[in-house]
Amino acid sequence: MALKRINKELLELEKDPPANCSAGPATIMGPGDSPFQGGVFFLAIHFPADYPFKPPKITFTTKIFHPNINSNGAICLDILRSQWSPALTISKVLLSICSLLCDPNPDDPLVPDIARTYKTDKEKYNATARQWTQKYAM
Amino acid sequence: MPPLSSGNDDDNKSSTNNDKDSGFECNICLETARDAVLSLCGHLFCWPCIHQWLETRAHNPTCPVCKSGISRDKLVPIYGRNSPQTDPRNTTPPRPAGTRQEPRRNRSFGFGDGVNFQMSFGVGAFPFGLFQTIFATNNHDHQYTPPQPGTPERYHHDMLSRIFLGIALAVILFIIFN
Repeated sequence: MALKRINKELLELEKDPPANCSAGPATIMGPGDSPFQGGVFFLAIHFPADYPFKPPKITFTTKIFHPNINSNGAICLDILRSQWSPALTISKVLLSICSLLCDPNPDDPLVPDIARTYKTDKEKYNATARQWTQKYAM
Repeated sequence: MPPLSSGNDDDNKSSTNNDKDSGFECNICLETARDAVLSLCGHLFCWPCIHQWLETRAHNPTCPVCKSGISRDKLVPIYGRNSPQTDPRNTTPPRPAGTRQEPRRNRSFGFGDGVNFQMSFGVGAFPFGLFQTIFATNNHDHQYTPPQPGTPERYHHDMLSRIFLGIALAVILFIIFN
């Protein structure tokens, strides 16, 4: 069942990809209204055997400066953990990650240093994020 | 990674299938729902799919689509005409049964066609109530109406009334003067 559903999801993703996203290989283009604009971020998607009853494991393989994404590329996003639902698809998850890039959640950070910078010095955060995007994602 | 599509023919076929079935896809496996069940919030699933989700989230299971609370008892099976009856029930978990509501009935007892038997037995504050036991047979309105005046039935009716009144008065006098 898992394989059949993954194939179907990928077909739909190819036919009708969400904005800024693409599958095979999974990429997210930095959203226009974020310091990641112009960057192309690659992601690794690992499907567990009991997908879609368990969430897919999604990590960034491109380095990114973000309060909710650590240096290993792990993403802190509720729908990838406790709030996962089998009605969610890779397409919807990629869209959620996209909006997480635009609106970080510094109150539940994975990297406290970046969260502190985001909260106290937005200019510095934006500058560093832009710098990392140019360095690693272009 | 498996091939995404094996050819143009397959693509066309799957797209027409999608157009036809897209309203009846299971929200979990994304295929046309088989052994379909519906949550009370209106979301369609295959029974095996939602059963596995209920097992996965045994504590506080929620609808995968809208996160409203769901439970095994509150899933409604959907029976289509000519739905395949040869499904392997032994391998899939059994679907919850549909519940059948009893239709509304009159409160009177029914004894077949044309014969209605109605009985009311009242014990009120007044002793006359004791004698208000009414047997009405073959009466379609379910209501006791006295016979027309001037007929023998009316005569008997009045006689009975007087006799019962006499008995009642006797009882009352007996109670008072005892």
